[in-house]
Amino acid sequence: MGHVLDATATPTPPDAMGAGPGPVRALDPRTRILAAGAFALVTVAIDSLLVLLIPLAMAGVALLAARLPMRQTLKRMVAVDGFILFLVVLLPFSVPGEAAFYLFGWPASWAGIAQAGAIALKANAIVLMLLALVGSMEPTALGHALVRLRVPALLVHLLLFTVRYIAVVDGEYHRQRRAMTMRAFRPGTNWHSLRSLGYLIGMLLVRALERSERILQAMKCRGFTGRLPLLSDMRFRRRDALFAALLLAMLTGLLALDRLHVGAH
Amino acid sequence: MSALIEAADLHFAYPQRPPVLAGASLSLSPGERLAITGPNGAGKSTLLQILVGLLRPQAGQVRAFGAERCEEADFHEVRRRVGLVFQDPDDQLFCPTVAEDVAFGPLNLGQSRTDALAMVDQVLSQLDLTSLRDRVTHKLSGGEKRLVSLAGVLAMAPDVLLLDEPTNALDEETTARLIEILLELPQAMLIVSHDPHFRRRVVTRTLRLRNGVLAPPEPACVPI
Amino acid sequence: MHIVDGALSTPVLIGGGIAAVGGLALGLRALSLEKIPAAGVLSATFFVAALIHVPIGPSSVHLIMNGLAGLVLGWAAFPALFVGLLLQAVFFGFGGITVLGVNTVNIALPAVLVGLLLRRGARGADRRVAALSGLLAGALAILLTALMVALVLWLSGNEFIPAAKLVVLAHLPVAVIEGLICAAAVILINRVKPELFSALVPPAPQVALR
Repeated sequence: MGHVLDATATPTPPDAMGAGPGPVRALDPRTRILAAGAFALVTVAIDSLLVLLIPLAMAGVALLAARLPMRQTLKRMVAVDGFILFLVVLLPFSVPGEAAFYLFGWPASWAGIAQAGAIALKANAIVLMLLALVGSMEPTALGHALVRLRVPALLVHLLLFTVRYIAVVDGEYHRQRRAMTMRAFRPGTNWHSLRSLGYLIGMLLVRALERSERILQAMKCRGFTGRLPLLSDMRFRRRDALFAALLLAMLTGLLALDRLHVGAH
Repeated sequence: MSALIEAADLHFAYPQRPPVLAGASLSLSPGERLAITGPNGAGKSTLLQILVGLLRPQAGQVRAFGAERCEEADFHEVRRRVGLVFQDPDDQLFCPTVAEDVAFGPLNLGQSRTDALAMVDQVLSQLDLTSLRDRVTHKLSGGEKRLVSLAGVLAMAPDVLLLDEPTNALDEETTARLIEILLELPQAMLIVSHDPHFRRRVVTRTLRLRNGVLAPPEPACVPI
Repeated sequence: MHIVDGALSTPVLIGGGIAAVGGLALGLRALSLEKIPAAGVLSATFFVAALIHVPIGPSSVHLIMNGLAGLVLGWAAFPALFVGLLLQAVFFGFGGITVLGVNTVNIALPAVLVGLLLRRGARGADRRVAALSGLLAGALAILLTALMVALVLWLSGNEFIPAAKLVVLAHLPVAVIEGLICAAAVILINRVKPELFSALVPPAPQVALR
């Protein structure tokens, strides 16, 4: 149940600061976050379909390097592809240009297919890279890294608290659902079902508030004076610098390649 | 021996509910391990909360470490010296990692980061929990959470421990471990527990909370 | 309704990012470290609720419950929903990272608006008004979100207009479902613990202090 957020975790879970097996997890969490961000920014800036295959390949390599379970991670791609499918199906018919084929008399343009393809490649590459670099760390490591990257501490505390209690609330939710199922509850599109789910959610929120009151009391019992500790042991190492240099080179190369490619057409 | 904690004639009722405490009194001396028993809803947890000032009684006095405690400010010292281990460890263990959570108390007491971390290592090793030091709290098992929440309280070097149903939902192995730990601790303790086996091993004296009043329990078997 | 990377135009992404930062700033102003436990556990609850799927005819849909989040969290819904979206993007691959700002604004802004409009009714003494407020809050938040998604699609280019229209149409039944669930949740909260609506949003003072 603590595993709601880390179905992508390996059998040997990374420690609280994100270190674990494989070259990706040997990197400082901050490096991984910044790398994913830079990668995303460059990938969305690329126009050429052919060049976009490279970021996709890079993400695939990163995925392997992160030692994430392949099948589970690729299943996550389906979530992305739901929305993509939607755009992919519609775009060719709404982008003007030379028609590739006709569907019930509606022209589907090459330009539209190309644009939809570009979106599909970009979205998938970025999601894969994100999962490989950042999704492979403990959520708590993410929080600690963000605060070291100057994200406001209050926001990070909110993140860490949320992460801390997702498993607890999820457990409560599942116990309630099981209890409902044992009394023959079957969710359907009817008022009884919706009301039951609404009551369930309402009750979870009420209990969440009551739990938070107890948490605050427990904090006061331990002398809470308005400050929360964030102790982390992150240090940039040589491998972070090497990785950053390599990535920077590749991303610059990608941009250059894209300019050349687009220019050539 | 002067009492560490005394409660005199406490009266307490939650809003719009019948009174939970109606003249409850107790006294805890150094070295004692006093158990509070009673039916569910009798008010045992409420009593513990009043002793550390999380709730104020409608009547009655709380004395701790030789001084009467009425205002919130009076209880600051109480909370430094009295460690309350909550019934549900998920309410207590809120920091991302075990080390940070155990360090929370010492840091609040004004210790430097190095001293706090040294205290963390000391307490964890005392309870044989060093392997959990860098673990993420929400992934610990129930038993581990219970022991770590105890560690977080012990890290403040309290003089008194208040334990609310410490063996709730613990397996036999962890219960045995907890008993061992408690028997070796020097602190005076007030323990709310409905587990008779646990009480028999650990406790030196028992009071039963019934109808809002604390009294020594009736013996189970009365000689004819 | 989580938009993916690579679809929207750069000006829209930048605008969304700036708006999100603004919303986050306002949301964080409404919070303090003392309120973080409440905001955090509530945020975790909404995250878990978003994993629930409700059957709708032959398929099913994931809940968003941003209307309820607005009622309960007020401006704090901005950072809370942002955290949820960040976690979903990074650990589930759901949504995107360059569009995080846009997605946050699309989901959180309706939440806050709906909360401002309907919180009074939700926590009031009249049970029927509370239920109605819940229904409106749940449905309206979804509709506004769908409209905002449509808007950012349209702003990114005319070729997205059919997709924009479809998004709004597809979410009409979802709005009904979420409205009904939100109504039930509000009915329960109103009955069991109406203070939940004031936990992070203090009620407006009745008397001006001089």
